[in-house]
Amino acid sequence: MNLTRRQFIRNVSVAGGALTLGFQLTGCSEEPLLLGSETDFRPNAFLRIDTDGTVTLQIPKAEMGQGIVTGMVTLVAEELELDPAAIRYEMAPVHGAFADPEMRLQITGGSASIRVYYDILRQVGASARETLIVAAMNQTGLARDALQARDGSVISRRDGAVRIAYGELVPVARTLPAVTGVMLKPASEQRLVGHYEQRVDAEAKSNGTAQFGIDVAPEGCLTAVLLRCPWFDGAVESFDAAAASEMPGVEAVFATEHGVAVVADGYWPARQAAAKVDVRFTPPAEGLRDSGAIARAMAAALDGDDFASVRDEPGSGPEDGTLVEARYEVPFLAHAPMEPLNATCRLTASGCEVWVGTQAPDVARDAASRVLGVPREAVVIHNQFLGGGFGRRAAADNVAEVVAIARELKRPVKLVWSREDDIRHDWYRPAMAGQIQARVGAGGEVSHWRHRIVGPSINQQVLPKLAGSMLPQWVPAGATALAGKLAAGKDFASVEGAKELPYNFAGINVEYHNLPVPVPLGYWRSVGHSHTAFVVESFVDELAHRAGLCPLAFRRRYLAEDAPARRVLDAVAEAANWGKAPPGRFQGLAVHASFHSVVAEVVEISLEDGKPRLEHVYCAVDCGQVINPDIVRDQMIGGIVFALSAALYGEITLKDGAVEQGNYHDYPVLRQNEVPAMTVVLIDSDAPPTGVGEPGTPPAAPALANAIFAATGVRQRRLPLQLS
Amino acid sequence: MVAFTLNGGDVSLEIDPQTPLLWALRDNLGLTGTKFGCGMGLCGACTVHLDGAAVRSCSLPLAAVAGKAVTTIEGLGGEHPLQRAWVEHNVPQCGYCQSGQIMSAAALLAANPAPDEANIRQAMAGNLCRCGTYHKVQRAILSVAAVAHWEPAVEGEA
Ligand code: FES
Ligand code: FES
Repeated sequence: MNLTRRQFIRNVSVAGGALTLGFQLTGCSEEPLLLGSETDFRPNAFLRIDTDGTVTLQIPKAEMGQGIVTGMVTLVAEELELDPAAIRYEMAPVHGAFADPEMRLQITGGSASIRVYYDILRQVGASARETLIVAAMNQTGLARDALQARDGSVISRRDGAVRIAYGELVPVARTLPAVTGVMLKPASEQRLVGHYEQRVDAEAKSNGTAQFGIDVAPEGCLTAVLLRCPWFDGAVESFDAAAASEMPGVEAVFATEHGVAVVADGYWPARQAAAKVDVRFTPPAEGLRDSGAIARAMAAALDGDDFASVRDEPGSGPEDGTLVEARYEVPFLAHAPMEPLNATCRLTASGCEVWVGTQAPDVARDAASRVLGVPREAVVIHNQFLGGGFGRRAAADNVAEVVAIARELKRPVKLVWSREDDIRHDWYRPAMAGQIQARVGAGGEVSHWRHRIVGPSINQQVLPKLAGSMLPQWVPAGATALAGKLAAGKDFASVEGAKELPYNFAGINVEYHNLPVPVPLGYWRSVGHSHTAFVVESFVDELAHRAGLCPLAFRRRYLAEDAPARRVLDAVAEAANWGKAPPGRFQGLAVHASFHSVVAEVVEISLEDGKPRLEHVYCAVDCGQVINPDIVRDQMIGGIVFALSAALYGEITLKDGAVEQGNYHDYPVLRQNEVPAMTVVLIDSDAPPTGVGEPGTPPAAPALANAIFAATGVRQRRLPLQLS
Repeated sequence: MVAFTLNGGDVSLEIDPQTPLLWALRDNLGLTGTKFGCGMGLCGACTVHLDGAAVRSCSLPLAAVAGKAVTTIEGLGGEHPLQRAWVEHNVPQCGYCQSGQIMSAAALLAANPAPDEANIRQAMAGNLCRCGTYHKVQRAILSVAAVAHWEPAVEGEA
């Protein structure tokens, strides 16, 4: 069934053919989803139109700032001949109809949303439009050619004398089979795609009405905070809640499998009381408990020879060139989204309802069902706006926690994390180490590239959890853990971006050593690319320097004539006036492909008392067809700010198994007075759209490090940058 | 009991006067437009106006607002020139920090109706945006600074 469905969707995506019925034919056991009222026109799970003409779209992806609601509404509006602002949107419930067609999970990640829904959502709009036109043909007796859809009505093409609003056509349209196999508009006729530059959620996010998970408050809802074990493998051994229970507003203090929950009639009383709870946790197991020990273990692994090959292209050319070799290190990183994690749960007769801003509603549903021991279908997830995600909200630890609290409390409850909880209990971007060596000949020719990567596999931890929500509930946990182990040896999340090195060097080898650590790991904006780009693009800069070539010319030399990387390099070089920085300014360059897009960046700095000052970042991106140019520019800028924050300041350290940082003073991020000017160039393209949420992030750190080298002659081989 | 003016109306609360204004607003008064980000005065997500000046409500005990006028994002009304500029320039990404950004910007304009870029970067340095909307924030404020001087009507009435 799954194969059939995937096959079916692939056919749809490629051919742009019929699909609408297909979206209800999901999962063997799952009923088609029919939201709204019986009198609505509901051609598929995504769309409904009521008799007043209100069009409502289900958003199958999470809105965490990347503009997915606007993008999706725009695609439907394009074909349905509406103003995007005229379409209502709702966060989709969990249903097979809304599973990502590639990942087969209802999850937002991999910068995939627009890429995978580009054809599907235009078809959703086109199918509804054509069905409405058939309804108008029935009503008027006019031929298809005599009618067209415009601005929410079907009108007669010649004189406009006939004009029937969509709402009036609903009673007929709902009785018709949905028209399928509709030809989509060619680019030349698109009036929104590539042109629309508003955001449909800007109003709600400017007047305080946008509802985030933390704002939800079902009737009678209490607030909980949770005291978690500071190290990651401990559990509550004992606790004394006598003083806390006496505090005003406190309703209950009890232990769950996740810690000690303190429940009160608001966040403040709960937090005050939590400070009075005396908890003892089971001691940590032996192992890698300090950042220093982890770094030493990584260095030792790099000294050894225990590596799995992920790319093996034998070297050619003379062995006599100069051997260049360097080691790089990057730290653990927290996501630190502005909205601290939270989730709200209300038990129901058969299971529960959960309100949460999540990147993965069906992972959240699975987590909740496991805590209660009920079937997944007994859990309802109400997804909300996410106050930032960056990968953090693909995990459902907050959901499992709140459901466990509600299970004991038996009253509606909202769990709110503090910022300290967030920084100290993240699923971190892993610390990684890398070593590259290559030979540079007299004429600058590069051969025998060997890149070795050491670090913990994210997928070994995360895939079993995702697999758990993907597979039938009866599949034993052991089987999914095995899936994770198998994935870990050549973990794509650890080597992506290194494995696909785009340069035509004579001989490329990439190898990986998995070094498990007792620290929760997760996907952090651009995942493996967040560190491999830093290592690779810094080292390429080192090679250029060795070869005595300009970093731009050096890269161009090893890129094919028609390589997309070359096009963005040229575009960014032109925008930045590469090589002709004003006096006192220094430039660094990097290019990196990720999530099917290619981005090149130039970071321009000056020196202030010997320290780098960010002046200007130039960025060129090729992400295929752009849907909303303003949002693409914002995503590039946001991705760069995110990367620069990490490059300058980001570092999570461990001591005795616990994270040492706790808030924005010791885990700082870039502020308004620190951001450089930014220029973003969008490469014209009519190729299908590719990722934008993450690809802006990887090139920024190496471009900055390369600028520092240009300014000071000091090579930065460690993040955060060592600037003292 | 603590009594104060909130968005032009009188309110009084019978809760612990040490409760930070942020939690009184969100949990006791149901005004959730003001956000919790750090609880330590580090991020600005909780910014509101106290007698017209920007304050971090996470670090301000309720007792300190007795008899004073508090304005939250809800009190700006939606038609404030800055809010119009925010929509016009598509400033928000995730949107979570934006109530605080707008309240800080409104206080800046009330104190300095024609700030330049340097003034803006300085005055807005206390408002973090993890999504990186800083340039849009600058541009939206500059667009208002250029054309309109806002009179803080709600606070003025209080
Ligand atoms: S929540 Fe008040 S400054 Fe961060
Ligand atoms: S818009 Fe997301 S934190 Fe500012």
